[in-house]
Amino acid sequence: MEVFSQYMLTTSKFALILLSLAILIRCLRSMLQERYEPETWAYIKSGRETLPVNHWENIIGSSRSADLLIQKPGVRRVHAVLTRDDAGQWRVYDVFGRGGVWANGTKVGGKGECVFDGDVINLQGNMLRFQDLPQDKRIRLDASRTIAGKRFSPAVTLLELSIFQLFLLMQHAFFARAEYLAPIALGFFALMMLQWSCYNAMRIMGRSGFEVETLAFYLSTLGMSVVATSTPGDMYKQILLTIAAVALFLLSGWWLRNLKRTAAVRLPIAVGALLLLTVNVVASDAVLGARNWLEIGGFSFQPSELVKVAYVYVGASTLEKLFRRRNLFGFIAFSAICVMALALIGDFGTALVFFVSFLVISFMRSGSIATVFLAVSGAGLAGFLAVSVRPYIAQRFASWGHVWEDVFDTGYQQTRAMSAAAAGGLFGKGAGSGWLKDIFAANTDLVFAVICEELGLIIGLCAILAMLTLAFFAVRSARNGRSAYYAIAACASMSILLTQLALNVFGSLDILPFTGVTFPFVSRGGTSLLSCWMLMAFIKGADNRKDASFAVRPGGRLRSVVDDPLGPRMAEKRPKLSKGKTPAAKGKAAGKNTAPAKNTAAAKDKAAAKNTPAAKGGKAKGGRAAK
Amino acid sequence: MKKITNRAVSVLLIAALVIVGVLTYVIRYVDEGEDWALYFSRLNTEATGQILDRNGLVLASFSPTENLFAEDRATRIANYHVTGDYWGRSGTGVLSAFWQNMRSFSHIYGTTRSNTGSLQLSIDARLNNAAYNSLIGQKGAILICNYKTGEMLCMVSAPSVDPADPDTEPEDGAFLNRGLSAAFVPGSIFKLITAAAAIENLDGVQNRTFYCEGVTDFAGVEVTCPFEHYSQTFEQALANSCNVAFSRMAVQMGQDTMVKYVKDYGFLDSHELNGIPTAAGAYPTDFVGDPELGWSGIGQSVDLVCPFSMLRYVSAIANGGVLVEPTLLLDDEENKSSRLMEASTAETLARMMSFNVAYSYGGSESFPGLALCAKTGTAEIGDGTSHAWFTGFLNDEAHPYAFVFLVERGGGGLTVAGRIAYNVLHTAVRS
Repeated sequence: MEVFSQYMLTTSKFALILLSLAILIRCLRSMLQERYEPETWAYIKSGRETLPVNHWENIIGSSRSADLLIQKPGVRRVHAVLTRDDAGQWRVYDVFGRGGVWANGTKVGGKGECVFDGDVINLQGNMLRFQDLPQDKRIRLDASRTIAGKRFSPAVTLLELSIFQLFLLMQHAFFARAEYLAPIALGFFALMMLQWSCYNAMRIMGRSGFEVETLAFYLSTLGMSVVATSTPGDMYKQILLTIAAVALFLLSGWWLRNLKRTAAVRLPIAVGALLLLTVNVVASDAVLGARNWLEIGGFSFQPSELVKVAYVYVGASTLEKLFRRRNLFGFIAFSAICVMALALIGDFGTALVFFVSFLVISFMRSGSIATVFLAVSGAGLAGFLAVSVRPYIAQRFASWGHVWEDVFDTGYQQTRAMSAAAAGGLFGKGAGSGWLKDIFAANTDLVFAVICEELGLIIGLCAILAMLTLAFFAVRSARNGRSAYYAIAACASMSILLTQLALNVFGSLDILPFTGVTFPFVSRGGTSLLSCWMLMAFIKGADNRKDASFAVRPGGRLRSVVDDPLGPRMAEKRPKLSKGKTPAAKGKAAGKNTAPAKNTAAAKDKAAAKNTPAAKGGKAKGGRAAK
Repeated sequence: MKKITNRAVSVLLIAALVIVGVLTYVIRYVDEGEDWALYFSRLNTEATGQILDRNGLVLASFSPTENLFAEDRATRIANYHVTGDYWGRSGTGVLSAFWQNMRSFSHIYGTTRSNTGSLQLSIDARLNNAAYNSLIGQKGAILICNYKTGEMLCMVSAPSVDPADPDTEPEDGAFLNRGLSAAFVPGSIFKLITAAAAIENLDGVQNRTFYCEGVTDFAGVEVTCPFEHYSQTFEQALANSCNVAFSRMAVQMGQDTMVKYVKDYGFLDSHELNGIPTAAGAYPTDFVGDPELGWSGIGQSVDLVCPFSMLRYVSAIANGGVLVEPTLLLDDEENKSSRLMEASTAETLARMMSFNVAYSYGGSESFPGLALCAKTGTAEIGDGTSHAWFTGFLNDEAHPYAFVFLVERGGGGLTVAGRIAYNVLHTAVRS
């Protein structure tokens, strides 16, 4: 019997590794090898050239990085921005307010001007004809795109993950104390149920991209294993938290579908985040050096974790707003307050996470390396001050790289983490059989070493690789994103998760100073788990492959009113102009457009309101004169 | 959009840093993983094993769940300084020193491969018991090794500890292995070193006559003998343990020569007994005047000798000048031997030590049944008490044992240490 169980243990160790690798490779290949054709929303005709409009936010200009490249005399590097909203309404903006943009003869300002099928956009005398895509044609175009998950069925990957979970459960069954067997088993079965329900919900919604979820579930499985080994009494809590986290993920993803709605509540969310941090600063007691916990009705939670999500939400921005200085300054002020509040709380690890995310967001928004350098040197100064004011941080820096010289004090946790991690070898001692779990804060700060000790270095590296895969995926998805908002949000989320991972893993291994932030998904911690899953929603929001993400409305069916009852129902084409408009515009509208029957009055009014007669006549002439 | 999404590469920069960190860790794991894993080897262990004495008696046995010692309390106490304990309270025991070797680490399996093994020591636990008992509560150390093979037969330090009873507060200094980890004033046993230097440096010293009127004077400072030895040969001077003769020899050779010999014979270095570091001794190496040099030549002054260093020295004398390094392992194949002194010097010293026993200690009447070559020491430590030393070897093909007996503040070398030595050596030869 003894021999048999040893045999089973050894088999399960190898099985866990093979399954981990299989899951990761499938997700990697699916995410990186499948074709990501861009969506096409409209066309711009410039002379004989026809340019597809692939995003909802496009830069028109002569720069190589312009989405619609017009290399003609008079066209500036970033000349205008062409956007589309959830309802299908196109607008053109003169983002820098330098002039030189006309739409149908109307001078365009910073607030933008509506454009409709057949309209002419004049860039300093270069005439571009805008051609919206009728719905039937778009459906046909969309149908030709590759469906996500076609080559690598997500169901197979999820099945592999389920077997992984069974083997993991089996290992726990070897080592767990009898009274904890039931909750541990329940935990893993609940996780299985949750992931398959989630998968079925996606299938019902007609979505087939499930790699992000699979990787998040994979990491959550490791997190479940950490709880099972370190605090098996908390299994029920962990189950409920995971369910709540996945529910929040779905809710956030659904919320992100509507860009207008998303952008509209940025300010309230920013205010809410600041309030939360203020409460934290004022009300919380010192907990182990960092006062980053709030306790409400017996439940403790970390406000800074939720603020992370809010930070990404507030930090991301749509393209046409990016070019407004005031916008970035507001964000910088918001960031500075967040980081300073965290410093006051004493949570310097999280402050650093925010700062890296700030760098990514501000760089993506401004593209200015000078800004980044300025921020880094400013933060360096602030960090220097922090170290001189808070001696325990200086102590952490002092022991950094010398942990083996003080094994019983400043290097206590790290040396034990390194020793246990090395002792696990490549295959681990078996889930639940380690000793590191009993060291203080092992299931949060030393979690990578706990995984390495019990499941082996290979699975530890797989956990890191899973996060890296998500990062590559976020960057790749961002390229085809509809809006800069989703691209920035996905990248900001990944920067937060990667920075946390780096600080956690390398801090515990004495490669970086020990800061005590969590390993996303894997470290025990309720609020952290919630925030990690919510950050995943931003990545789903950027996944624009055909029918991939529940957080993205399908391109082909976009106009269907049934698809999203909450979405605004707008006219798809330019309405017939009512009386009192300039004859030139009227004639054009009448000549080019066959107005559809389902135009609503509201759309008409809206469109009409923009075309003030005064703006039209005079400035349009100016445009022509310039030509 | 392209403008924005091109900047998404900044995330890949973070990813690249993560990869650099991972590679750093993997390289460090390959490089230092073994040290890390074995540092907390008690926690990481999967090993099962035991430590046996040369006759197969179990001195310690351990498994992932249990740590045991010998069943008999007297054996546990007498052998404590051999075994040490599982908690590292004595840093010089076999358990501490060999612990890491008993746990295998591989980069593939970490420490997860359970390792079963036993280690057989050259120590005779029963001899250790007899030795420990013979000290009858006095502080001291006894070391006996086979000078042909280097195998340690006896290693005892008193007071000692019962490792199976970690809660009882042991006597002061009980964790110290006096044989390995401490150095003492040598007194007259140091004359064996001065004699070796004299043989090689003072021409015709073996044919010289030394005259002792009980006292000699170096620049107004006197070195005295308890008796006037009058006229004596070199051999007789050692047998008389004549302070006058040996202090004059040291002064005549000069400090540089003395220091060279003390160094060459390894008295100033820390050695290793199977990886257990031993204490270094002391000798005036910075310039001192003749009076101090004279005293240092007879084992007083600031001289300190670790009993283990002395054991190496007498082993080499016994083995014709070739030192077989002492070892705690039975049939230690990795054991090294090297020449410590000229063969002729060793031969002369051996003859002198044999003569010494016959001439001064009563020969076979005092030590029946033992082919004894030895030198005593009564090292005054300045507070009226003295360490009793007895060191030497048995010139016996069947029992080639070198030994050091030390009784801390024990009194006379011959009367205290000599008597203990006789009993213990007799037990060793019989067993």
